[in-house]
Amino acid sequence: MALPKRIIKETERLMAEPVPGISAVPHEDNLRYFDVKIHGPSQSPYEGGVFKLELFLPDDYPMTPPKIRFLTKIYHPNIDKLGRICLDVLKSNWSPALQIRTILLSIQALLGAPNPDDPLANDVAQDWKTDEKAAIQTARDWTSKYAAPE
Amino acid sequence: MNLLESVGFSLIDSEELSYDELLASSRFMSGDEARVTSQDIVGLDAHEDARTLVRLIQCSKCSLPFRIPITLPCGHSHCRDCLPQPHHRENISYPNTPDRRHGVVCPVQTCQREHPVGECDVDVTLSKIMEAITDVTAEYQPASEDTPMLLEEIKHYPRADSVLPEKEEDSMETPEPRSQVLNGGRLAATLRFAQMGFLDFEAEVGYQTLSKEGDDYRPLGERILTQFRESVSKELDCQVCYNLMYDPVTTPCGHTFCRKCLVRVLDHSSHCPICRRTLPIPPSLDRQPSNQRLKSLLVGLCPDLVAARAEAVEQEERGTIGELDVPLFVCTLGFPSMPTFLHIFEPRYRLMIRRALEGNRTFGMLMYNRAGQPQGDLGNTHFLQYGTMLRILNVQMLPDGRSLIECIGTTRFKVLRWSQLDGYIVGSVERIEDVSLAEEERIEAEETSVAAPALNAPPTPDNISIDPSVLVNRLSTRRLLIHGVEFIEKMRANSAPWLHQRILDAYGQPPDDPALFPYWFACVLPIADEEKYLLLSTTSVRERLKIVVNWIRRIEGQRWYAGSSCTVL
Repeated sequence: MALPKRIIKETERLMAEPVPGISAVPHEDNLRYFDVKIHGPSQSPYEGGVFKLELFLPDDYPMTPPKIRFLTKIYHPNIDKLGRICLDVLKSNWSPALQIRTILLSIQALLGAPNPDDPLANDVAQDWKTDEKAAIQTARDWTSKYAAPE
Repeated sequence: MNLLESVGFSLIDSEELSYDELLASSRFMSGDEARVTSQDIVGLDAHEDARTLVRLIQCSKCSLPFRIPITLPCGHSHCRDCLPQPHHRENISYPNTPDRRHGVVCPVQTCQREHPVGECDVDVTLSKIMEAITDVTAEYQPASEDTPMLLEEIKHYPRADSVLPEKEEDSMETPEPRSQVLNGGRLAATLRFAQMGFLDFEAEVGYQTLSKEGDDYRPLGERILTQFRESVSKELDCQVCYNLMYDPVTTPCGHTFCRKCLVRVLDHSSHCPICRRTLPIPPSLDRQPSNQRLKSLLVGLCPDLVAARAEAVEQEERGTIGELDVPLFVCTLGFPSMPTFLHIFEPRYRLMIRRALEGNRTFGMLMYNRAGQPQGDLGNTHFLQYGTMLRILNVQMLPDGRSLIECIGTTRFKVLRWSQLDGYIVGSVERIEDVSLAEEERIEAEETSVAAPALNAPPTPDNISIDPSVLVNRLSTRRLLIHGVEFIEKMRANSAPWLHQRILDAYGQPPDDPALFPYWFACVLPIADEEKYLLLSTTSVRERLKIVVNWIRRIEGQRWYAGSSCTVL
């Protein structure tokens, strides 16, 4: 199936001018499927970790948002056990003027600013609210345990 | 001194330059071998068309290059300062939002409508283009020193829209044409001339080089135009498709997209993709004018790219991929010659139906493969492999972009290969047709000849129940049809609810044509679609009628109609 020009251009630009701390590489056999790596932002509990995600551009992209999921286990109030992400721009606030680059930046920003008031993982959010310090420590532990750079 | 004077090529109504003209010429030649490639289409020339090029970015009101350009809902652009003072709009109570309480009267003579202030925002694309042009010019200035040329404004006639009638007399005293010596070749000099306010929007320019060698500085113009082209075209990419804007439409919030892109956006949401403001425009964009200036700029600067885009769009809009040329709608069961009524609300099918309406108005209708049965060579698909082509007869567009469509079935088909396009399915299909009449006759003769003559008598529930399948097989084709017609008459006499007038209004009276009767019968009969689906792969009238008689036999076997109130089988 022919790939829309937009996806080709986005991919080219991602390759030519990569975002610092983020990489997205399309699969050779399916150019709509990307292997993504996001470096945990500095001064966050995820610092030093490299998180793997999968990103898929559905058939009606960019009219509908990309489908993105964390593959690396992560302790975060807005990311659940299955790696699903609670982020408005991936759902109701998606706009076709957004792109893979901006979405990945938003996810990186979400790592830097967990939002326990709009949780996806209720237990994590609860921990975060009751004992933030401990929660942050758990997030650190998980980062070094599961997201150690290869 | 070598005198070199000429008048810039005139293209007064450059604002009206449309793609259609451009495409018409390219299409005209595309039929034979001497096919015009998009590269053959040449844009405006930096030297010869310098005046026209500058006009593309001049405000028709103040004649200066745009300063904070606003594109009005009518598609025309003006500087913000050139718009009349907003006034309070009278007698309007809906929607009465603050941004709509004031309006400006459109200064464009052909429009003159009242535009609400909320729909007159700064044209972001045009502003960026003006910035790009300023940047290029600033960089270019030092390189163009000491290349003097005398520019003279040439007015052919008084401006039609510049004066009000009562000021007629004043306007007769047209100010003297202005002239100025400027550097940088025709294009840069003309732009500067306009910036100085010396060049009326409709005036032409006479050029006279002051170079002792008679140099007309042609290469200078070409150089700066190349730079303009490069930096301007960056701003002319649509933020949805990442292609050069094709038929640009500017939203009331000042953001511009390809018309087709914006229509698709509106299938999904009513917000601007860039600023997320609600777009107060009907989703079809049917009455939304294109951005005239951007359109002219595109055609003037890169007609080759515009033509290439037009070709690509045309291909896209066929809604097909190569040989996979039939859009397929997986939804329900349709039959040849029978109507199908659909409510189109999913964005992907809105797009599909829109494309069909612009093309041959047909698409294939397939049923869901609910039981997950393997579909021949296709394997286990989510749809059943046989379907019916539907032609759209009537469309009722709803204000929010949904639509109700009435279709009529044309031919039956089988899906050979398929893929996805923009969320819906496209496929390559093979038409399913009945065998020839001779073959039809041969089959009937063969099947009925083994029958004893007595068995060709009208069947009764009693004798059918003896050995029904054999019996049905031995009935003449004519008898099979009569059996079906009689069944309907009997059911009508019994006031079967599925033969209610409402249903007959939709599907009509039973057709006389035996080839079509089974389709009609299937449309009205209250049995499972999976049963009815069997008709789609038949290749003879006789085969279909036998299916019908077998349904009747089963229904009569259940004797549900004899006084029972049960209506579902």
